[in-house]
Amino acid sequence: MHFWKMIAVENLKKSYEGVEALKGISFNIREGEFFGLLGPNGAGKTTTISIMSTIVAPDSGKVSIGGKDIATNAMDCKRMIGVVPQEIALYNDLCAFDNLMFWGGLYDVPKAELKKRIQETLELFGLSDRQHDKVKTYSGGMKRRINIASALLHKPKVLFMDEPTVGIDPQSRNLIFEVVQKLHREGMTIVYTTHYMEEAERFCDRIGIIDKGEIIAQGTLDELKSSSKMKECISISFADGSSEDHHTSNVRSDLSKIVLRYNEAGRDIAHIDIKKVNLETIFLSLTGKQLRD
Amino acid sequence: MLKLALKDLKLFVSEKRGLLLTFLLPIALITMFSLAFGGSGKKGESRPMTLVVADDDRTAESRRVAQELDSLKEFEVQVTSLDTGMNMVKKGDKAAILVLHKGLEDSVKAGASPPIEFMYDAAREAEIGILQGSLMGSLMGIVGMGSMEKSVVERFKKKNPDLDSAQLENIRQQIKENFSPEASEEQMEESQSFIKSTALVAEEETSPGLVQAVAGTAIMMLLFSVTSMGASLLDEKQEGTLKKLLYSPISPGSILTGKMLFTNIVCILQLTVMFLYSWLVFGLNIAQNIPALILMIIATAYACSSFGMFLAAVARTRAQVQGMSTLIILVMSCLGGSMIPSFLMPLWMQKVAVISVNYWGIQGFYDIFWRMLPVGDPTFLTRVLVLMAIGTGLNLVAMRLMKRNLLAIA
Ligand SMILES: Nc1ncnc2c1ncn2[C@@H]1O[C@H](COP(=O)(O)OP(=O)(O)O)[C@@H](O)[C@H]1O
Ligand SMILES: [Mg+2]
Repeated sequence: MHFWKMIAVENLKKSYEGVEALKGISFNIREGEFFGLLGPNGAGKTTTISIMSTIVAPDSGKVSIGGKDIATNAMDCKRMIGVVPQEIALYNDLCAFDNLMFWGGLYDVPKAELKKRIQETLELFGLSDRQHDKVKTYSGGMKRRINIASALLHKPKVLFMDEPTVGIDPQSRNLIFEVVQKLHREGMTIVYTTHYMEEAERFCDRIGIIDKGEIIAQGTLDELKSSSKMKECISISFADGSSEDHHTSNVRSDLSKIVLRYNEAGRDIAHIDIKKVNLETIFLSLTGKQLRD
Repeated sequence: MLKLALKDLKLFVSEKRGLLLTFLLPIALITMFSLAFGGSGKKGESRPMTLVVADDDRTAESRRVAQELDSLKEFEVQVTSLDTGMNMVKKGDKAAILVLHKGLEDSVKAGASPPIEFMYDAAREAEIGILQGSLMGSLMGIVGMGSMEKSVVERFKKKNPDLDSAQLENIRQQIKENFSPEASEEQMEESQSFIKSTALVAEEETSPGLVQAVAGTAIMMLLFSVTSMGASLLDEKQEGTLKKLLYSPISPGSILTGKMLFTNIVCILQLTVMFLYSWLVFGLNIAQNIPALILMIIATAYACSSFGMFLAAVARTRAQVQGMSTLIILVMSCLGGSMIPSFLMPLWMQKVAVISVNYWGIQGFYDIFWRMLPVGDPTFLTRVLVLMAIGTGLNLVAMRLMKRNLLAIA
């Protein structure tokens, strides 16, 4: 059975002491889909995840997971989801194995099966040999990996990952990317929040761009590109130091024409720069600001 | 729930400093206090107290009482006249004297309560507490039995006028047997109604100093450790693990109950270790009433752990808990008799003491080791019930507050 709407979020609103964290956001996620929630700090990503994982009650709006309303079926929904919180939340004085035994043990997984899954997961994250060391001796990246591992042991249908790669070494980051893509291939429905547009571009089937509590655009990367009024930009610098920009929706055909025209006019081209449309530029065009600042 | 408690236990064991604070520090304190109070479970090791007996009766019976008191290890009797004795107290030479009034012999023979009076300097109440306590018990043994036996027989006669003398003799005999010094605690308890005495000391006596040192210190230290365990909930909030627990299909109630369970387990362990230590090192006779001891340990652990939960519920950070707890625990311990025995305190303070967990716990342990009450004794059970009620009350309030504050992530 495939849900067209594995997750349905309808008009969520949430205010904190006068601050409107969410101003009515809606999106649907298909079963097995990798959905990215891209937005700068303070956009409302964590608030959205917290509401979807039932630990924060929205002021209004509805969320259903696997066809079940989280407001009325919180426990059923909790069993379906795994959450990787933005902050690393582990018991530092326990070893990785004990942590995983504990976090996995909160779900109804038989003990023997749990132990097996823990070994598999540790293997996956490259931490098998350190499993009996206390977590407090781990690097940030290793803790992040255990933090993710602890959300996977009950094999959730749906995985929420809230900025899982913030502040870690490239090696850990790549490992996490690999695991995430593997989970995606295996059919897990994933909601992945990030403020790195490269991550969103690289993995996500569909992307919601969120800013100031609103989803300002959503769709596949191609849909976002074509719907945006942004055009790619051919930037030409001349030998005399001056430069000119040409906006176009078809670089390939336009580039040669432009170059030919300048040649005929006798102008000496020193440098050609092509600025492609990406999430960064789309975000810039939608909000007038940089994604990262 | 059990899993949560086990996880906490694992964490608890992994932290050496916490273990040290929970077990070694109390042991060190108990040792110090025991030595300070001259406490030792073995009778007769304490120094004898000088007891001035003013003999105004001057009969064979009054001399016998004085002699028997003197023969006890606790007392060194000095006999004087009533006037001299009263002057001693008035001048401040003595804190108290024991007066054997005229008619002692007659009333003992008649089976009436003997005219014995304890005269003391009210300003020196503190000094006479222990003296008075053990004196009452000894007197009971010396003059009490005979007169009690008679008054029981008298009562029987009055109620059953048709009893013949053979039956009466039979009853007399039975009383003699049953109310011998080895009489059961229950019977000793009954005999209290025949003789006016404040505290009844049974034959196999444990020094009150030792009970004081163990119970007083153990409960105070328990309060300090539960504070830290309660605060671990606040740590979990700060560390984000509490939030992560909420993501899982564990009800918020179970998360809190798990923490309570953990705190209770550690408290019970801590108290058990304290009593085992007192037994091994100071000879506290923990075997004499194991059911009562177990009941009291559980009740005390429950009440103390609820205190930890309550503090965690009203505070926002560990630092706040620690700030509040130090003051509250010191005041409660002081009032409740953890530092100075309650019976040495002025009366008003003893009355205020009932608000402290320490008071009920310490009195309960006194009931077991000093007053030798049986497990079914109403006084003892009342203390257990009060501790349970305190525990339940604080736990409920804590749960309520926590569901509103601590568990509200938004
Ligand atoms: N518990 C809270 N109390 C008050 N304001 C909050 C709380 N959580 C989030 N906010 C506010 O809501 C907005 C959205 O926050 P958040 O969802 O954490 O953003 P993001 O995860 O995208 O960085 C921010 O303005 C933040 O300050
Ligand atoms: Mg966030």
